[in-house]
Amino acid sequence: MSEDASSYPPIEPTNFDLIVLGTGLPESVIAAAASANGKTVLHLDPNPFYGSNYTSLSLQDLSSFLISHSAPPPSPPSAPSDGHDFTPAALAARPLFSHVEISSFAPDVLGEEHSRKFNVDLCGPRVLFCADKSIDLILKSGANQYVEFKGVDASFVYNENGKLTSVPDSRAAIFKDKSLGLTEKNQLMRFFKLVQQHLDDKGGEDESGNSRISEQDLESPFVEFLNKMRLPPKIKSIILYAIAMADCDQDNVDVCEDVLKTKDGIDRLALYNSSVGRFPNALGAFMYPIYGHGELPQAFCRRAAVKGCIHVLRMPVIAVLMDKSTGHYKGVRLSSGQDLFSHQLILDPSFIVQLPLASSPPGLGSIKRKVARGICITKSSLRPETSNFLVIYPPRSLFPEQVTSIRALQIGSDLAVCPLGMFVIYFSTLCHDANQGENLLNAAMDSLLTVPESAHPESSTTVHSENSAEEKPTVLWKALYIQELTMGHFESISSTPIPDGNLNYNNILQATLKLFQKMYPLEEVFPETDSPENPEDDHEFSLES
Amino acid sequence: MATTGNKNINAKLVLLGDVGAGKSSLVLRFVKGQFIEFQESTIGAAFFSQTLAVNDATVKFEIWDTAGQERYHSLAPMYYRGAAAAIIVYDITNQASFERAKKWVQELQAQGNPNMVMALAGNKADLLDAKKVEAEEAQAYAQEHGLFFMETSAKTAANVNDVFYEIAKRLPRVQPAQNSSGMVLMDRPAERVASTSCCS
Repeated sequence: MSEDASSYPPIEPTNFDLIVLGTGLPESVIAAAASANGKTVLHLDPNPFYGSNYTSLSLQDLSSFLISHSAPPPSPPSAPSDGHDFTPAALAARPLFSHVEISSFAPDVLGEEHSRKFNVDLCGPRVLFCADKSIDLILKSGANQYVEFKGVDASFVYNENGKLTSVPDSRAAIFKDKSLGLTEKNQLMRFFKLVQQHLDDKGGEDESGNSRISEQDLESPFVEFLNKMRLPPKIKSIILYAIAMADCDQDNVDVCEDVLKTKDGIDRLALYNSSVGRFPNALGAFMYPIYGHGELPQAFCRRAAVKGCIHVLRMPVIAVLMDKSTGHYKGVRLSSGQDLFSHQLILDPSFIVQLPLASSPPGLGSIKRKVARGICITKSSLRPETSNFLVIYPPRSLFPEQVTSIRALQIGSDLAVCPLGMFVIYFSTLCHDANQGENLLNAAMDSLLTVPESAHPESSTTVHSENSAEEKPTVLWKALYIQELTMGHFESISSTPIPDGNLNYNNILQATLKLFQKMYPLEEVFPETDSPENPEDDHEFSLES
Repeated sequence: MATTGNKNINAKLVLLGDVGAGKSSLVLRFVKGQFIEFQESTIGAAFFSQTLAVNDATVKFEIWDTAGQERYHSLAPMYYRGAAAAIIVYDITNQASFERAKKWVQELQAQGNPNMVMALAGNKADLLDAKKVEAEEAQAYAQEHGLFFMETSAKTAANVNDVFYEIAKRLPRVQPAQNSSGMVLMDRPAERVASTSCCS
């Protein structure tokens, strides 16, 4: 209900084990895990919706969220020190987004009523690998009861010649692939066999310690190993960028900041391989949550609530209360004026505490990389007959200076993210500055889509180009934005990780679980419960436990 | 969304209403036949299923309780998604809870599925002496807004099953099979390929 937080009753009790500010996926997982361990948890969010930086929103809400989170923060009101034994330190907003550019080319189509039917992801493009560790976490937490998924139909690689080639993701697919010669097929099968043997050896106890791939090869760059296996460039590119999801140009060690080692490359192949066919309804390696990624934090929040966590949306925190004598964290002051206390505090990365002893804000590493994200809405699919799929633009596929891989994900209305007949296409790439990121994403968009020149609906009719043989879908609405990248950190006030540039949540959730274990070293993240919960059974009733 | 198949209907049902109106007590009475006099605010149980046979169909209700998230008006959109039915509960001894019930109806009409079957339940009907909300007033409101109305008592069980039966009868028998190929992940890690079950 759209009510003001001032109409809320005061929060009771006033002491908690943990206060969590922000309802993004990491914060929600921590709230659910702490609640499952019997901790008293208060979960606050200044926004009127769940999900923080991991949310899915209508077009209007997404636009205003991006714009309000890219403005330089207003200087926080200095909270006056009062007669208590603690000092309030102002809580400031850190703008995580910049260079936000939103264009609507068809305001008539995307009127207010239509705009509400969108659930557009803020942290896209994102999918889950069917064999991801995050799937196990979702299952273990019980959050799986509330979210439904669908398989992503296919993945494609963008070629220099402007064509999309499908990624052969199984032996059968390799054999069927008409673009591969017999020699190439044999080389590829030999390669997969070697990798499989290596993984099988690793699984069992090998007394000899002899894996099929030498220790030296495992520590060397994956690309060198692929060269050694004499894989053709096309296959190499598919393995590196569409299966192992490498971020930057592996052939160019000078500019690539994370050269993939063979052992990591093989782990990623293994993840991909075990993802294909894990679930009967997902034919490929990936799946996507119905209603968008914003469902995931909501599901963890519901788990938390079922275990006793108190949720309060629309409730800004204005200050963090520090003990006067020790300088340690004590509690928070709400915008309603109420003071609440807890042993620990978790902040989503869009907040920073302005301590009187000016310590540098966390996350200012040596190399500041960013992620550029883009969203396009269209009325026709990039591929006929396929609605939900991934497109990888390997480095140098768009232009020679492209040093990073660009990933795109098209999701259609069957996943309940947009009105019937429309499609949402997400783009992202890592970059060092906004200019570089914008250029990369614009090139990727232009390669497959027609982006009208100006934001006037009249001009869009003149855009139809001469080479109308292959008509590209016209963009109705477009957003481009640059997002900061920082990982979380742990102190008495801890900070959770921001959405990274990857397709899946593995790194984010790994950092989140590490944070949880530092906070609660003795607790299991989601302890096993005795009462079985199986909604499919035919008992008279089943209980959410 | 309710899905049909051989007259078996699965229907998500959500409960809404003020803290203390008796949402959980109604479900507990319906599902387990129990009543607890001083039921604490909902923590712990928030998800039940119960099957009802009506004339022409078997309806399996998947009942979602608020898990306390209504206290600070922080129910997630997920709660309303795909709900085929809702029971909005107020306490007949508390005028404010009736006013709040009207707000929940507005919220449902904004968030929920337009074909949702909605019931208005004036609970605690056993407390006649303390009655503040007249049945006529609630009935008139319900009629005007497309709900059906009953006064219930989770304590005496009066009209509790009736509300659920009435919903079961009113549920559309044919529903668009939306998102039919979605899957709910199931925790059976031992078997690989067979480790999920499809929802439809």
